[in-house]
Amino acid sequence: MDNIVGQKSSLTWVVNIAAAALVLLWTIPTFGLLVSSFRDRDQILTSGWWQSLFPQEASVHYRAGAPDTAVQEGGLYVIAGNVFDGAGGVVSAFGTNSRDPAAFAAGETVQTNDGYELTVSEDGAYRLTSAVPFEGTRGERFFVTTTQPPTFTTENFVKVLNAEGLGRGFLNTLTVSIPATVIPILVAAFAAYALAWMEFPGRALLIAAVVGLLVVPLQLALIPLLQLHLKAGIGKSYIGIWLAHSAFGLPLAIYLLRNYMAGLPRDIIESARVDGATDFQIFLRIILPLSFPALASFAIFQFLWTWNDLLVALVFLGSTQDQLVMTGQLKELMGSRGGDWEILAASAFISIAVPLAVFFAMQKYLVRGLLAGSVK
Amino acid sequence: MEQFFGAATTIVIGVGGCLLYFFLTNMLLDRIFPASGPNISRNINRANAVRPWLFLFPALILLTLYLVYPLFWSIYLSVMDANGRAFVGMSNYAWMVNDPKFLESMRNNILWLIVVPALSTFFGLLAAALTDRIRWGNFAKAMIFMPMAISFVGASVIWKFVYDFRPEGQNQIGLLNAIVEAFGGAPETWLTHEIVNSFLLMVVLIWIQTGFAMVILSAALRGIPEETVEAAILDGASPLQVFFRIKVPQIWGTILVVWTTITITVLKVFDIVLTMTNGQWGTQVLGNYMYDWLVRGQDSGRASAIAIVIMLLVTPIMIWNIRNARKEMR
Amino acid sequence: MTAKFLASAAALALLSGAAAAQDVKFPIGEGAFNWDSYKAFDEKYNLDGQKITVLGPWLSVDQELFQSVIAYFEAATGADVEYIGAEGFEQQVVIDAEAGSPPDVAVFPQPGLMRGMAAKGQVLPMSPEIVQWTKDNYAAGQSWVDLVTFPGSDGAANTFGFFYKVDVKSLVWYVPENFEDAGYAVPTTMEELKALTDQIVADGGTPWCIGLGSGGATGWPATDWVEDMMLRTTTPENYDKWVSNELKFNDPVVVNAIDQFGAFAKNDAYVSGGAGSVASTDFRDSPKGLFASPPQCYMHRQASFIPSFFPEGTVIGEDADFFYFPAFAEQDLGQPVLGAGTTFGLMKESDAGRAFIEFLTTPIAHEVWMNQTGFLTPHKGVNTDLYGDPTLKKMGDILLNATTFRFDGSDLMPGGVGAGVFWTGMVDYVGGKSAQDVADSIQSTWDSLQ
Repeated sequence: MDNIVGQKSSLTWVVNIAAAALVLLWTIPTFGLLVSSFRDRDQILTSGWWQSLFPQEASVHYRAGAPDTAVQEGGLYVIAGNVFDGAGGVVSAFGTNSRDPAAFAAGETVQTNDGYELTVSEDGAYRLTSAVPFEGTRGERFFVTTTQPPTFTTENFVKVLNAEGLGRGFLNTLTVSIPATVIPILVAAFAAYALAWMEFPGRALLIAAVVGLLVVPLQLALIPLLQLHLKAGIGKSYIGIWLAHSAFGLPLAIYLLRNYMAGLPRDIIESARVDGATDFQIFLRIILPLSFPALASFAIFQFLWTWNDLLVALVFLGSTQDQLVMTGQLKELMGSRGGDWEILAASAFISIAVPLAVFFAMQKYLVRGLLAGSVK
Repeated sequence: MEQFFGAATTIVIGVGGCLLYFFLTNMLLDRIFPASGPNISRNINRANAVRPWLFLFPALILLTLYLVYPLFWSIYLSVMDANGRAFVGMSNYAWMVNDPKFLESMRNNILWLIVVPALSTFFGLLAAALTDRIRWGNFAKAMIFMPMAISFVGASVIWKFVYDFRPEGQNQIGLLNAIVEAFGGAPETWLTHEIVNSFLLMVVLIWIQTGFAMVILSAALRGIPEETVEAAILDGASPLQVFFRIKVPQIWGTILVVWTTITITVLKVFDIVLTMTNGQWGTQVLGNYMYDWLVRGQDSGRASAIAIVIMLLVTPIMIWNIRNARKEMR
Repeated sequence: MTAKFLASAAALALLSGAAAAQDVKFPIGEGAFNWDSYKAFDEKYNLDGQKITVLGPWLSVDQELFQSVIAYFEAATGADVEYIGAEGFEQQVVIDAEAGSPPDVAVFPQPGLMRGMAAKGQVLPMSPEIVQWTKDNYAAGQSWVDLVTFPGSDGAANTFGFFYKVDVKSLVWYVPENFEDAGYAVPTTMEELKALTDQIVADGGTPWCIGLGSGGATGWPATDWVEDMMLRTTTPENYDKWVSNELKFNDPVVVNAIDQFGAFAKNDAYVSGGAGSVASTDFRDSPKGLFASPPQCYMHRQASFIPSFFPEGTVIGEDADFFYFPAFAEQDLGQPVLGAGTTFGLMKESDAGRAFIEFLTTPIAHEVWMNQTGFLTPHKGVNTDLYGDPTLKKMGDILLNATTFRFDGSDLMPGGVGAGVFWTGMVDYVGGKSAQDVADSIQSTWDSLQ
């Protein structure tokens, strides 16, 4: 007996560790994106996200105050300031020439190319002095090797959340995705029941056709379908996109649900039939409640797909400011050439929130019990 | 707000309408062929012949309009010229078989079809089995599911940064190269290494699809009647034996479904390849190649011809599924 | 000031009915703008209640700028213009047109797509007046017209587009202070540029940052290089023949131009990260090397839009600047300039749509945008003092001093080549294939297009 318990607890350990390893492996890339979403673009492109969690040594150039900020001190013109501009850090070296940016140790006083005297101390304070007035409009450029504590910014999120039209986009997306999730589930559930439990000629062929239709590439379907919508008078409207999303999700829904329903115990259905229940009653009272785990898992995926979709929305709903869904709004933020990685990172986390909430909400329907109870 | 009510009304009308349709048509059927009276057995037979089609009707209409019709449209376009204006016979197909990029795509697709569904299903099953046994299972599931919730483009950006390359001596911002450097290796431009890069792209899809496999398989695992498991444990089976001998055979149908679905996702994949390499350095796949000719090449004929090939590739999977369905019915 | 503005606004309100209550960027009647052209247009049109949609590729900043131009059209005519910026413009316009619901006006980022759509009869020809106006009033007017003259669905050639907003591509970006620190001078000939490149290497530096990565469009920056090299190694006539494939892609002239690009990009010592990293470095990240400390490179050849990817706070003209990508002194080809531009096309017949195109010929439609940022124009009738910043003016000068102006060739080639194998071919080329092999395979794809 002891032996079995011992085995069990060691097995529990193995399971826990294995699960932790798997979770870690799967989250590291996403975690990197999360960290990146709190950094600005220049940071993202100059150091790895994991480095941002620790103090960082970097070589950067800094521009001293403009000549008109100089003050006179006993016959000398002085421009003073701090390279960290308020944030903390340590300067280990500095330089005045781009070819040798770490020529001098912090604290030394050196001549610049233009004949000024420059000193940068360890705490980042710099002092540029000259016997004659400074010239030009731009401050003197010099180089510092710094070690700075991690710095993060919430600016990306502020920018995304404040974006014009995002609220509207959010509403539009909800308007698209909720009906586009509910309708196909219902339609598919009836079809799946027929394919799983009703006898009729051509059933196997229909199942195969559903599998085959999963593979029809969406891109090629867009033009003929939009033509169809325009001819039918639906045009670019919510009805159009609901129908389109429902239909595109249907093969997977039927396929998943049929498989699940076919696996339900035969005796329940047979005995209900014997009791005189019609198929409609069997479906509503027995099959539908028993299929909740499958319905919930399909709902999650269909919701996800409509939530993250941009292509279908642009084609069937249109892209004017009023019609744009959230993914479209976020894409616009990224500009015509789309290199704003920091915006992408922040918006990915904003748009992930709702699907994740749906996942958690649906998770309780994924449990067993419904089935176990009814078999007994 | 108005829009919100509009959506709510739609849900009510849509759902109510569907239910009403099923309810009314079924009632009508029972009226026409009542399961009573003198012709009871004939009526029941007739009703049973009609009823499946009542259940299937809305689904069939949607599928026909939105998927079957475009399918035939694609077949038609594949024998037309670039603009879909003039008939060109089989010349798009003839072009295809001689096109080196197409052959490269076929080769890569076969690799993808072997690797991605197998590993995604394997990891999904592993994740489902492990997370069902631990206390923080729901949290773990959410974490593994998360990649699924990030759009394909978002996922591609994440992995672009993982594979990023900076010359030796500069600060690596790509995780992979940072790890390589930490172990004393030299950084690589991973995405330009033929063969290796294809596998690196597959990793992205596996990373995404594992969440899908996990959710479906986990639901199936929980659907296994407890009695069978309990009986096996009483017989002294070890947990591993219970899993492989009792549980896996019972969810075999679901594993097939997951495998099939991921296989089809693989056949259609293009976003990952498009955003990460655009099919260069030997990573082209059929989905992206079709997209390329459709959007860049402005040639709906060639694009459709490639699409037809993709659809033909699904045939073995269809046959496999028919056979499986037939087996179930017995 | 305010009183004057109110007065002019009131006067305008009288002129154009009720429509002048628009928010316009610059008060009408003030500054060095050509307000006469605005008033003349205002008097000519009254389109109250008409509505048109314009579909284009401009997003975020560009979208706001273009909308500031539209505001004047709306104020003048009373028409309502809805601009839609589309992320995937190419795909969207094709789908909409094929399905039968095109926008009234579309803004094509390059003429290649327009050619294809015109051939299907999806774009309407410009009126003869607009065509004649372009010939007369744009610098090198005939060449702009030629770029958008294609066979229509009936096979007859017609002019389908109107150019508005031009970009200059033959620019080399650098950090003046880095040049100063090292004692380098801005080269004025290609020979000097090559000497400078070697000089930098000899000094232990890396001269160039080159990045071809662009996600799904990886490779395109190399096509600009090759086009610039074509213009610098052969005649403009040959360039035109190359674009129309009269001169084969694998002709020695073209192969030579590709190798001229390779002389820079395929030399490990010349490029930051070595030749192997050129193809995979993102073009948006590539210029960052100019600003690193110590500099990872000293020069970066890219079009006029690239400053939006410089580190935040970079001041153009001070922290970073550009010079003309010079021509060979020994080749007597003058000062060729490579450029690109957006062209407007009418997708549906409408009075307001036609009027909108006509509005774009008025100086005011150009001046409003050029006084802000990111806009160059070949319009001879505008006040060039209005360029919003000295950088734009300097680019405008490069455009004016050009002895030859040629449009981005890859944009004029069929999509399967110009946005397909030309890109991928260049990636193969920097990856190690020979120029001849790459050119052969590009030509064979071109041959295979019907």
